[in-house]
Amino acid sequence: MSAKANSSEFERRRAKALAMGGEEKLAQRKAQGLLNARERIARLLDEGSFLESGLFAFSSGNPEDRDSTPADGKLAGYGRIDGREVALVANDFTVKGASSSLSNGKKIAHMKRTATLRGIPLVMLGESSGARMPDTMGAWGMGSMLGGDPTQYQRMRETPWAAAALGNCFGSSAWYCVLADFNVFRKGAILAVSSPRLCSLAINEQVDSEELGGWRVHAEVTGFADLVVDTDEEAMDAIRRFLSYLPSHHNEAPPVSSVPKGSDDAAAALPKVLPESRTQVYDVRKVVRAVVDQDSLFELRARFGKVGMTALARLGGRTVGIVANNPMFKGGALDGDGCDKITSFLVLCDSFNIPIIMFVDTPGFFIGLDVERKRAAGKIMNFMNALSLCTVPRLSVVLRKSYGQAYLNMGGGRNSDEVAAWPSAEISFMDPMFAVHVVHGSRDEKYRDPSTPEFQREFEQMRGDAEVWDIAGNYSVQHVIPPEDTRAYLLRMLEVHQLRLSGGVGQHLMRTWPTSY
Amino acid sequence: MASIDVKSEITGTIWKIEVKAGDKVAEEDVLIIIESMKMEIPVLAPEAGTVAEILVKEEEPIKEGQLLARLHT
Repeated sequence: MSAKANSSEFERRRAKALAMGGEEKLAQRKAQGLLNARERIARLLDEGSFLESGLFAFSSGNPEDRDSTPADGKLAGYGRIDGREVALVANDFTVKGASSSLSNGKKIAHMKRTATLRGIPLVMLGESSGARMPDTMGAWGMGSMLGGDPTQYQRMRETPWAAAALGNCFGSSAWYCVLADFNVFRKGAILAVSSPRLCSLAINEQVDSEELGGWRVHAEVTGFADLVVDTDEEAMDAIRRFLSYLPSHHNEAPPVSSVPKGSDDAAAALPKVLPESRTQVYDVRKVVRAVVDQDSLFELRARFGKVGMTALARLGGRTVGIVANNPMFKGGALDGDGCDKITSFLVLCDSFNIPIIMFVDTPGFFIGLDVERKRAAGKIMNFMNALSLCTVPRLSVVLRKSYGQAYLNMGGGRNSDEVAAWPSAEISFMDPMFAVHVVHGSRDEKYRDPSTPEFQREFEQMRGDAEVWDIAGNYSVQHVIPPEDTRAYLLRMLEVHQLRLSGGVGQHLMRTWPTSY
Repeated sequence: MASIDVKSEITGTIWKIEVKAGDKVAEEDVLIIIESMKMEIPVLAPEAGTVAEILVKEEEPIKEGQLLARLHT
């Protein structure tokens, strides 16, 4: 073939691949306000940085589909986000519903392998219908289409993974969303193991898609959605933002940003955040916002396990992971979902060398029939074990209550590298109201009635004993700080506790822990 | 007009009821305060609307997920 003919064949095939599933399907998406796979990539990456891998791939599992499967329905390649390389896969739903097939499976495997070997994040833009049919049917189909890559669903957390649910996410898109470190969920997307239609066929359950796997389910019930957004554009921006806090791989420290002007101003308001009464609630996000660099707070899973707040943020330009009890919900008493959420966040931070800051105000673990049946003891110990396996710096600040086992889970004693407390801190084994009953109530009924002088006297004594001064006296709290000094204190402590001996890199002892609980 | 169920997110005791049927409420107004784990835990209006009915009384023990009130929006 002549050079001219070669060139023209290249252009013809290139144009055909770039046309994706055809004008009609692309127009339908546009009418729905959705970006197509190539538009998503353009929005996600630094301008002009996309280098596609496998543009000329097509279905190799079924010869009849050679001409109707541009790029085999999943786009892959390399690009830059804020100047840093990433590897990515974007499902093109206009080509056979971006169903999983032989060629596109090889593309995913190659992106994952390259990201892992070369230390760059992996981005998976999910929207797919599941296994390609009928190619995967039968023993021949299963044997040839599935199981060729023994690391297909292996997660060792060598590099950050960010995923998005941007439409129907059945099959591989669902798997990669829950395997990822960050999953942004666009309203209208559905993430489920199988489609409503299959549910109806297999178990005669008539389900609505939103009810099966819509944004509310994954934001509030499963916690699989780290963030919920309204549009594809916001989803792409969220991935860029998430990755801005993370290193490219586990063997380097996270990037350092400049500190926005005015970041030191908000801390002056901290003494006014706590309510007058020790039994009243407040939103801990006010404290966190006043401490971290201005506009740097990026909360994860805000609608799930709300008793525990988890967020990425910056302090002095450095990435930190925030774990805070939020008294606004259940009085800050930790429940099972809160434990699961904090555990997985500790694993994320420790795996990517992000120091952890804990803000403590909890009356303890929530107790009772319901939580016990939801495996509370196991969840509390998973959380505790995770904290004790962290090798990144852990700094805790007790704002108010720290009781019982929750004292240890929230970094009490040597479960954090430094423990600071506000003068308002109260630390004990159980709330004095209960303790009076437990300690004295069995021998004298006067101690079971809070209105008696005996009860009140004992209560005041126990409450006084819970004040911070005794635990500062025996050096289990190293610093008592006025609230307004919290930011300056933490900035200094992050300096002290840098991982100097290992170049900012921890040991990642939980790198193989589950990606969801 | 839509009806919204307001449920308890926690097991505890009804401590105070701050609104009555017919009251207009804004989103995040406190409807009821539950006492649990020795904390005063507010139940907030999920949306602005009118209180249609309150289904609990003060000092009543309640369970997580129990229906406490209905709003009309």
